[in-house]
Amino acid sequence: MADNKCAARRYVYVWEGPVRISHWLNFFCIIFLSITGVYIHYPFVTACSLSNAPYIMGIVRYSHYLVGVIFAFSVLLRLFWLFMGNYYSSWKSFSNPFKKEDRKIFWGYFKYYIFLERNPPHVLGHNPVALVAYIVLFNLFILQIITGFALWSQADPNSTMYAITGWIFNFVSNQWVRFYHYIFMFLVAGFVINHIYSAVIFDFKSQSGEISSIFSGWKPERRR
Amino acid sequence: MSKFQNILDSYGVSRRDFLKYCTALGATLSLSPALAPKVAEAIEKDDRPPVIWLEFQDCAGDSESLLRSNRPTVAELVLDYLSIDYHETIMAAAGHQAEEAQRATVEKYKGKYICVVEGSIPVNDDGVYCTIGGKSAVQILNEVGGNAAFVIAVGTCATYGGLPAAYPNPTGAKRVKELLPNKTVINLPGCPMNVDNLTGTIVHYLLFGAPPVMDKFLRPKFAYGKRIHDNCERRGHFDAGQFVNAWGDEAHRQGWCLYKMGCKGPETFHNCPTVRWNEGTSWPVQSGHGCVGCSEPGFWDTMTPIYNRLPNIPGFGVEATATKIGAAVVGISAVVFGTHGIVSLIRNKGMVKKVEHEFEDEE
Ligand code: HEM
Ligand code: SF4
Repeated sequence: MADNKCAARRYVYVWEGPVRISHWLNFFCIIFLSITGVYIHYPFVTACSLSNAPYIMGIVRYSHYLVGVIFAFSVLLRLFWLFMGNYYSSWKSFSNPFKKEDRKIFWGYFKYYIFLERNPPHVLGHNPVALVAYIVLFNLFILQIITGFALWSQADPNSTMYAITGWIFNFVSNQWVRFYHYIFMFLVAGFVINHIYSAVIFDFKSQSGEISSIFSGWKPERRR
Repeated sequence: MSKFQNILDSYGVSRRDFLKYCTALGATLSLSPALAPKVAEAIEKDDRPPVIWLEFQDCAGDSESLLRSNRPTVAELVLDYLSIDYHETIMAAAGHQAEEAQRATVEKYKGKYICVVEGSIPVNDDGVYCTIGGKSAVQILNEVGGNAAFVIAVGTCATYGGLPAAYPNPTGAKRVKELLPNKTVINLPGCPMNVDNLTGTIVHYLLFGAPPVMDKFLRPKFAYGKRIHDNCERRGHFDAGQFVNAWGDEAHRQGWCLYKMGCKGPETFHNCPTVRWNEGTSWPVQSGHGCVGCSEPGFWDTMTPIYNRLPNIPGFGVEATATKIGAAVVGISAVVFGTHGIVSLIRNKGMVKKVEHEFEDEE
């Protein structure tokens, strides 16, 4: 099909290594933390025999904390890259509500989501509506990490960890901290549904390699 | 024979029992056993500060805890010996006579006596919801608490407002520290507080002339520095994954962990598992009921429902558990994006053809 010219003008390295590493670490950590978290919330497997005590909850909690620490580093890495990375991964790509052009693109995408617009202007990095969702999501991550470490630190109120995270108990009682740590899991799950759906639909709609880009980093720059 | 020896004799307590008690008390305070004689000395000394015990919006449960024993114990003796000059429930005097005794102590020992407060203090409507001898609780607390060497708030009502301060808090119940922000207040929460911790706190003061080290909720660390969950004798069952699933089931009879029955031990700081109650006889979890979290700030509102692990969500009806709301969030998200997907499928009809031929003619 020599006559079928490619829509791509050239290829751009959009997602640098740290962004992709952090993305997939988050992916695995969230799945693992959610499964172990649900068990901590409601230990559905009960060890039955007295003589053969298997230490189920002990292992689940230990691994929840271990993966929690990995998750925290992964989120930190991404936040670091918010300042060190290229334009697409940087805070500089956030829509500026004072810029007319940014507002136009944002509303274009917003209207696309509510079926009032067919062809929003193409952007290479995050689409601006999704970007808002990511900002909310990372705030959830940070809250999840703070509440998680705060709950953990209660094992020793004299510890450094408690000194760093225990201030949260001045504002929210520990039962509600637990509650939020639990309910945020569902908010993250709700986001995941949206996230996967949007990735597929935009990949289909704009042929911009949305999905492969988070594996390889490359995206085609479209002609229009 | 010393005065103290006389008292020991009148209680029928041997010197040996008294010293044993001092050693145990030292252990509660995390002191070295070598300090036991010092503890005894501090208790025996003649210049002990008098104690004024105030009761406001309370159930007298902490007084009950103080008097709980069925036989005179050393602890009771020590507290008696501390010359409690004013205690509405247990003093012989009544009416104006009693108020006079209180006034006299406040005047004579200004800045030297210990003030123990039981119960929360209502502030709504000028504090009319709790008045004694014509004075409101707020006034009495300011007069008596304000002139004390320091104040010990006993029980969850005095320390954090407790039941009277639970939603909707009709009387505007407040905790002691809120009304005496500049005073040294030691909180001994619990419903009721454990009398061993009260004795410990007072003896600590007698011994060192200072209140014990406290955490950020002003609870002495010797008593509230560890979680129930971390000292619980059922903790092994928790870690093993052995849980009670229904009251009276096989697991319950085996004494397994009460986590799934709503035990608040993982969120509660108290020394119940080690000091226990009624002269070390037992404590709630040992007798098969989960911890209700009575000694945490916000108790009642934050620790209920007692048999659920997490609080219910206000404004969503009584049975709106976190799980239901969370599942609804995920469900709504699935429905919204599912519908969006179907609509998009229809809207994108013909797109494949269009895109496949998009740049054909540019060649
Ligand atoms: C996406 C991230 C996470 C999810 C979805 C998640 C989920 C959960 C859930 C559902 C619970 C049970 C809550 C309950 O019912 O009481 C839990 C408990 C807990 N999580 Fe997480 N968690 C996450 C991240 C973290 C992190 C980063 C840490 C910090 C190391 C952490 C530490 C804890 C601790 C300490 C508990 C309490 C366990 C216990 O005391 O037995 N979590 N988590
Ligand atoms: S019974 Fe309560 S305090 Fe004891 S281990 Fe189980 S959850 Fe923890």
